[in-house]
Formats: sequence, structure tokens, C-alpha cells
Amino acid sequence: MNNSLLWRATKAVFVREVRSELRSRQALNAVALFAVCSIVAVSIGLGPLNRSAELPLIHAALVWIVLLFAAFTALARVFVVEEEQRTAAALRLAAPVHAVYLGKLLFNLVLLVALTLLVAVLAVVLLRMQVKAPTAFAVMLAAGSLGLVTGTTLIAAIIARASSRSTLFAVLSFPLLIPLLVTAVRGTALALAGAGWDRCLAPIQTLLAYAVAMFVTSLFLFATVWED
Amino acid sequence: MAERLALIAKYALGLAMAGIIYAMFLVVPQYVGLGDAGRIIIVHVPTAWVTSAAFALSAIYSIVYLRTRSPLHDASAVSAAEVGMLFCIFATVTGAIFAEVVWGTFWNWDPRETTILVLLLIYAAYFALRSSIDDGARRRRLSAVYNIFACVTMPFLLFVAPRVADSTLHPNCAFLQGSKCEGVSLDLNGAKISQLGDVVVELKAVEQVGDMTRAVVEVRMPGLTEYADLAPTMDSEGKAADRPEFPGQSFRMILIEADPQAGTARVNMQAPGTGLLSNQRTLWVFLASNVTFGLLALWIYRIRATILQVSARLQTTEAF
Repeated sequence: MNNSLLWRATKAVFVREVRSELRSRQALNAVALFAVCSIVAVSIGLGPLNRSAELPLIHAALVWIVLLFAAFTALARVFVVEEEQRTAAALRLAAPVHAVYLGKLLFNLVLLVALTLLVAVLAVVLLRMQVKAPTAFAVMLAAGSLGLVTGTTLIAAIIARASSRSTLFAVLSFPLLIPLLVTAVRGTALALAGAGWDRCLAPIQTLLAYAVAMFVTSLFLFATVWED
Repeated sequence: MAERLALIAKYALGLAMAGIIYAMFLVVPQYVGLGDAGRIIIVHVPTAWVTSAAFALSAIYSIVYLRTRSPLHDASAVSAAEVGMLFCIFATVTGAIFAEVVWGTFWNWDPRETTILVLLLIYAAYFALRSSIDDGARRRRLSAVYNIFACVTMPFLLFVAPRVADSTLHPNCAFLQGSKCEGVSLDLNGAKISQLGDVVVELKAVEQVGDMTRAVVEVRMPGLTEYADLAPTMDSEGKAADRPEFPGQSFRMILIEADPQAGTARVNMQAPGTGLLSNQRTLWVFLASNVTFGLLALWIYRIRATILQVSARLQTTEAF
């Protein structure tokens, strides 16, 4: 298939996802409320924290834990919904394999970026998180989200075919996300503490390398998962 | 004939295992600095190696399965993963016991502990996935995909794990932060100050005391919190003797080379347990233990794979 055809099909899958999401707003509502609840819970639980050398690391860890669990609730939906509404067979006929993967990946990415923005703003307001290097912080969150999405979208396709889906998604994804999580937390802490680009670049590169590796492997393996 | 051989091999394996356990407690000498706890290396390290080999085999069979789609290859992948899981638990538990005895904590988040924990989680998830898909062909296909996908994250894990905790107590210079595999050279008449990680070391003297060579090295801990003069020694054959501990740490300083006339010395940082295998008796028991545990794993794997393959064959014949 030539590239422009694949791109058009990908766009169609993406637009369809966005449209059906805007109609029901299920994922958006669930994720937004989840993010608000968990940040509020963390802020109430901790109370105002004193400035200390370890505060950036604590803030970074809290932000990423909230993001991780919000992602666990939201990112599996794209494939689970197809099985629940019994539309998977129709999608299999209508769209080429890679277009399905790419379209759903794009949708998950948009959803997670929106979620990340919300969590970051809430953390600044409620947790009084200080961001000393805003650009590095934004790049770190973007690269981390990219890795999170590429690492979980294939798992979402896998668990859609299994029973007890929601728990299984977290169980299968978590071990694969540990390298990402460790790098993202350390990197974000560096950005919060105001480290220069020379120190922030290494974690960003690791996050991007992780995203690329997971993306390429997913492209190879997705056809096997999607076939029936 | 073949049955006869298999029976003999089984008994031989049992005897070898008993021999290893006997040797572990009664043949292997105590190790300076670790005492009786050092004996655990005979069980801990071989099981850890078997774990990695079994998981690698499982991933390879998953790739083969996706190419051939033969249930027999899937059975091999599952059996290898099961053997890996069994030995992984064994290596983790023996390691944690050793850590409690020697380092004073069951869990230290050092790189190897982090990686083995993630391996445990990955294969626990693999089995969870298998048990929640009813359809046979789909279960085989999706679990193979997960196995391969998980494998891709391993290089990242190996890269990231040393960054979780600042230190490791596993004896290996590549993982020991601050240690350089070749140590640092100090010269009384030249570069007498250097660094081992964030510890500053300064050579004060190199002297001959009887047939021992002794170096006196001042160490300044990070943040200049502590100063100390350490005096590692070395015998006439160049083997390290005294290995004093860095103040406030479990690491030791070891003298690798010294020349009192020229006033030069080479020192390095070492975790307790390094050099455990330089004892001949320990080395041979350790090698025998590796072979025996490898064969034991292979035996368990063969039995399990045969059972699963027979049941897969039965299912295919029933389907027709």
C-alpha cells in the first residue's frame, strides 16, 4: 500500500475515535476526574511540604504516579470499546492493520497529552510545585507521555481479547513501564530543580529512545495481535 | 536402553545435587569479611544464571512460535518461562537472605535486585495473561507477542537500573559506582591525588613492612564529612591482604599494585565478596554447582515441555 493511502486511513481511524469520544465523553470525563481526585488526595494527604533538596524528586514522583494510574484507566479503552460494542470485526474489514494501530496510537497520545497538561497545572496550583526550568519540564513530560503511549497501546490491543481486562492492563503494562518511569521521574526532578540542558538532555534521549523502540516493535507485532 | 540411561542420569543428577549441598557447607572455606554467609554463592549465582538463560530461551521460542504457529513451540516457551520463574524466585529469596545477613537489609534496590524484580513481575504478568484467555490459539499468539514485547524493554532496564539506587553491593566493578575496573594509580612524586567515584583519595606513603607492602591513603568522603587514613596491604606475591573499609560504608579499599622504591600504588574500591572465587576449592565447587543447576533446570524443562506438548497434540487430534 502506498504511504498517502495509509496516512488517509490512519486519519480516518483517528477522526472516528475523536468523534465517538466527543459524543460520549466517557474517557475524557473519567480521566479528568481521576486526575483531579488523585492530585487533591495527594495534596490533602501531604499538606504543604517544606522546601528541601528532595522536594523536586518527591513532586516528580507524585506527578508521574498520578499520570501512570490515570493512563491505566484511560488508554485501554480504544481497543476494549471495539470488543464491547462488537465493532472490531467491522473495523478489521474497513481499515488496513497499521492504520488501526496508528490511528488509535494518535488518539491515545492526544488524550494523554491533555491529561498531562491538566495534571501539571493542578500540581503547580495544589501541590505548589515549583518549575524552575519550564521548557525542559515540558519536553520531559512530552517525551515521557510519548513513551507511555507507545509502551501501552499494543498491550491495550492484547488485553481487549482477554477476560478481566482492566486489572490485566495494569498488570501487563507496569513491568514494561518501569524503565520509562524511573527515567521520567529523575528527569522531571532535574527540570523542576532547574538543571541546565546539558543534564536534562540525557533523560530526554533515553525517553525518546524507549518510545522509538516500543513504537517499532509494536508496528511489527500489531498485525499478529489484530488478526483473527 | 534409552529408558535405562535416563534413569541413570536421573540418579546421577540427584547424587550431584546432594554433593553440591555437602560441598557448599563442608568443602568451601569461609571467606574473610563474609564468614559462613559467603557459602550462598554456590546456590545464588547458578540459579540466577539459569533464570536468565531460561527466560531468554522462552523469548526465543515465542519468536519461533509466531513464525511456525506450532503449539509445540508454544509449549516449549511456557515450560522455559516456568523453569525461569521457579529459579528466579529461588535466586531472589537466597539473595534477600544473604543481603539481610551481610548488608543488614533484605532489599537494597541495587541494580540486580531491581532487574530481577522486574523479571518476576513480567513473567507473573505473562502467566496472568495466559490464564485469562480461553481460546487456545489466541492465548498462544497473544502471550508470545507479550513475551517478545517485554524482551524489548530489557536493554532499557539494564541501562536504567543502576540509576535507581546510588550504590550496589554486588561484587562487580561495572556496577559499583565509583569503582573503575582497573583502579586508580597514585604516585608520591606526581599525581598523588585522585578520585574513586566521589571519594577523594590521596597517597601519603608506600612502605615495605616485613614481607608486606603497605600503602597509606587518606580518603575524604563526599561533602568532606569524614576523613580517614586507610592502610591497605599486599603480600610479596602481589595478593591483597588487608582491605580496610571506607568510613561509613560497606566498601573496602584494595591495593592492587605497589612499588615502595618508585613511590607508586594502584588502589581500587571493592564490595565485600569480590575475589570469593580466587580460592581454588570454592571455584571448583562453584563451577560444578553451575553445571548441576543447569542440568537440573534442563531436566525440569524437559519433563514440563513433554507434558505440555503431549496435551497440545491431544487437543489437535481431538479437534479433527
